[in-house]
Amino acid sequence: MTRLVLRRFASALPILLMVSLITFALMRLVPGDPSAVIAGLSATPEQIAAIRADLGLDQPWPVQLWRWYAGLLHGDLGRSLLLGQPVVEATFLRLPVTLALSAYALVITLLFGLIAGIIAALRQNSWVDQAAMLAAMLGISVPSFWLGLLMILLFAVNLHWLPTGGYIAFTDDPLGWLRTSTMPAISLALLQAGLLARITRSTMLEVLRQDYIRTARAKGLPRHLVIFKHALTNALIPITTVIGITVSLLISASVVTETLFSIPGIGQLLTQAVLNRDYPMVQGGLLIVTALLVLVNLIVDIGYALLDPRVRYDTA
Amino acid sequence: MAARLLTPIVLLAGLTVGVPSQAAPFKCPHVGGDFVFGQEANVNSLDQMTSSTISTRNVAMNIFETLMTRDENNRPILDLAASMEESPDHLTYAFKLREGIKFHNGKPLTSADVAASFERYNKVGLIRSMLANVDHWDAPDPQSFVVHMKKAQPTFIDQLSSFSVPIVIFPAEEKDTPPQQLKAIGTGPWELVEFVPGSFVKLKRYEGYAPNASFEDRTGFGGYKQACFDTVIFRIVTEPGARVAGLKTGELSAVEDVPTKAIADLKSDKNITLLPLNNWWIQIALPNASRPPTDNLDFRKAVQSALDMDEIMDAASDGNYKLNVGFQYPNQPTYTDAGKETYNLHDEALAKKYLEKSGYKGETVVLLTNQDYAPMYNSALVMQQQLQAIGIKAELKVTDWPTSVNMALKPDTGWNFFYTGWGTQPALGPLDTMAFLAPPSSLYMPKDGKDDPDLVADWNDMNAKPTAEARQEAFARTQKLVLERVYALPFGSFTKVQATRANVQGFKPFRIPRMSNVWFSN
Repeated sequence: MTRLVLRRFASALPILLMVSLITFALMRLVPGDPSAVIAGLSATPEQIAAIRADLGLDQPWPVQLWRWYAGLLHGDLGRSLLLGQPVVEATFLRLPVTLALSAYALVITLLFGLIAGIIAALRQNSWVDQAAMLAAMLGISVPSFWLGLLMILLFAVNLHWLPTGGYIAFTDDPLGWLRTSTMPAISLALLQAGLLARITRSTMLEVLRQDYIRTARAKGLPRHLVIFKHALTNALIPITTVIGITVSLLISASVVTETLFSIPGIGQLLTQAVLNRDYPMVQGGLLIVTALLVLVNLIVDIGYALLDPRVRYDTA
Repeated sequence: MAARLLTPIVLLAGLTVGVPSQAAPFKCPHVGGDFVFGQEANVNSLDQMTSSTISTRNVAMNIFETLMTRDENNRPILDLAASMEESPDHLTYAFKLREGIKFHNGKPLTSADVAASFERYNKVGLIRSMLANVDHWDAPDPQSFVVHMKKAQPTFIDQLSSFSVPIVIFPAEEKDTPPQQLKAIGTGPWELVEFVPGSFVKLKRYEGYAPNASFEDRTGFGGYKQACFDTVIFRIVTEPGARVAGLKTGELSAVEDVPTKAIADLKSDKNITLLPLNNWWIQIALPNASRPPTDNLDFRKAVQSALDMDEIMDAASDGNYKLNVGFQYPNQPTYTDAGKETYNLHDEALAKKYLEKSGYKGETVVLLTNQDYAPMYNSALVMQQQLQAIGIKAELKVTDWPTSVNMALKPDTGWNFFYTGWGTQPALGPLDTMAFLAPPSSLYMPKDGKDDPDLVADWNDMNAKPTAEARQEAFARTQKLVLERVYALPFGSFTKVQATRANVQGFKPFRIPRMSNVWFSN
C-alpha cells in the first residue's frame, strides 16, 4: 500500500507541472491582458504600457514563466493583480467554502444516489424502480441554475424558511451554515445524485446476476447479508471510482451555484480571475485546486485498493 | 487679474458652489439598524486610486473623502478643504483644510496626509495624467496644502474634483502602499469593519466623523453627511433574480439595477419603492476610422443614416431608455444637441446614396461586441440587421469584455465597430467624455495615423479656453464635428432602476449608493 501511495504521489508531479504550463500558456494566448482591464477604456497607450511594465508583462514569456516558477519554489504563488492579496491567501480563504459546500452536496448525492439506485435494482421493473429512475432523470435534466431559482422562490420568497443567498461559515454558526448551504448543496447535488442512482442501479443489477450471489442465496443466507455484504460490497468498487469523479465535478460545477447564491467560493474567484485576466490568481489558484483534486483521486485509489485486494496485489 | 477664492459662500464662473443655508443641518430622524445593499458587481479592491470600477467606487466613496468633489449637479465643491484660492496667474491653488477632521484610526488629518496621498496618486493613480501640469505641491503648515502648476490649466479644478478615479486622502503612513493594497482608512462617515472579496463589505458608523458644516445636507459626493445606520453591508449579489428575491424577503434593504422584467411585479409590492435613475449610461458604437471600409467618411455616413436608434435602444435596454443626441445627458447644464441633424435618421435611401458614393464593394464589416454586457451585444445584433438591410455585409465578432477592450485599443485587430457604454464620463462632463475620442486616447485612431486638425483644435479649445462659456462652445463644436464625421455613434441613454424597502428613507439614487443621510423609518 505504501508503494502504491508513493507511486501515486510521484505521478502527481508531472500532472501539476503540465497543468501549470498549460494554464500559463492558455492565459497568455487568450487575447487581452490585465493592463487593459485595469486601465479601462479611457487609457492612453502610455498608461497601458506603464501598467504592463509595473506588472512585468512587458517581459518575454520565458522570463515571466521562470519568475513564476522561481516564486513557486519558495512557496510564493504571487499576488492577485486585482485583489491585491497573495494568491495563497485568497485561495485558502475561498477553498474551505467550496469544499464545505461540495462535501454537503456529496452527502446528499451519496444519500439519494445510492439509496435510489439500490432500491431500484432490488425492485427492478416495479413502479418503485420506475419512480426512482424518473427522479434520477429529472435530476440529470433540470439545470441547476433553474432549480436554484425555483428553490429561492419557494423556500425563501414564499415560505421564508431559508435565506435567498449569502454564506455563513460552519465554524461561525453551524445552524447558519446549514441554512445558507442547503439550497446551494441540493441544486449542486441533484445532477450527480441522478447519475449515481443510475450507475448504482445498473452495477447492482449486474452483481445481483452473478453466480456467487445465486450461491449465497442457495445457501440460505439472509437477504440483507446477501445484499449488503456480498452484492453491495462488490458493486461499490466501480461506484467508488464514480464518487471520486463526482467530487471533482462538484467542485468544478460549484461556480454556477456560487454565483446564484452569492457564495464566496473558489469557483467564483477563479471565474472572476479568468474574466479579469488576473494571471497570478488563475495560475496559482488552479494549481492549488489541481493539487487538491489529485489528492482526492489518490484517496479514491486507496479506497479502491482497500475494497478490491486485487488492486493492492497488482500494484505491489 | 484678480485671484479667485473658492469658499462655500462664493460663486465662481463655472464653479457654482452651494450657498450655506442658515437652516439647521440635517439630523438623522432615526439612528440605528443594519442596512444591507444588494450590489450587482464584485468588489475586487477598496483601493480607490487604482480602480476605475463602479463597484469599488460604490463602497470606497462612503469611506474616503477628497479635497474637492462634485455636488448633486456634478459641479465642483469643496469637501475636505475649507477653502481654495487660485492665484491670479492660475499657477497656484492654495487649499485650507477643514478643522477637526480625523481618520478612522483616530489620527488627525493634516496637509502632510494630503501631500502623501497626492504623491501616491502620482505614482500609481490610474488617471495620474491629471497631475501632468502640476510642477510640485507643498504643505507650508498642517492646515495648508498648495499646488503649483507648470502652466495654467483652466480645467484643473474640474479634473481634481472628478470622481472617476479620485485622489482620496489617506494617512501619510500608507504612502508607499503598492497598487490595490491601500488600507481602507479614510475620513468619511463610514469605516470599514470587514471586506470579504466576492461576498460582502461591512461598514460601521464612524463616531468621530466631522461633517462639513458649510452645507446643510448631503449633496452629490459631499455636503453635510451623517451616518444614521449602525452598519451598512454591501452584499455582492450578481444574479438579478436573486437580488429581487432578497429585496422581496427583506434580507436586502435596497438593491441596484432591478431587471426590467421585474419592475411590474415590484411596482405592485407596497413594501418596495422603485427609484429610477435616469441618464445612467450612454450606449455607443465607435467606428475604426483607420481600417477599411470604415476609414471612408461616406461609408460611415451611410451607416449613420441607416440606423434606427429606437430599435437599437429598445433591444439594448429592454425598453428602459431615452433617445439622446450626443455625449451629455439632457439634465446637465453642459448638454447640447449640436449635430442633432445626424441622429436617428433611419433613412434607407440616404444610406444607400452614401454607400454608393463610398465605393463600397461588399467587404466584411466586423462588429466587435461581447456577451458580458447584454446591452452591448443586443445593440450590435440589431445594428447588424439594419446594416444588412442596406446591403452591408456586417458580421458580429463576439468575445468577452476584456478581449473586446484589448482589441478596441488597437486599430489593427480586424474590427470596424466597437460597442461600449459610457456612464461615469458623461456624468463628469464634456471633458472626460470627449477625452475618449481625442488624442492621446487609445480609442482615437484617425485614418493613416494623421490627426484630424479640426478635432484637435476643438479639443484643445475645450481644455484651454479661459472661460467655462468658451469651453462649452468648444464642446458643442467638438460634438457636432464628431457626429458629422461619424467618429462615434451614440445610440441613446439608459435608465438604471434601483429599489429600496418602503421603510428606507432618504435614499436618492446617484452615481454611487450613498449611505449617509439615509435612515429606517421604523
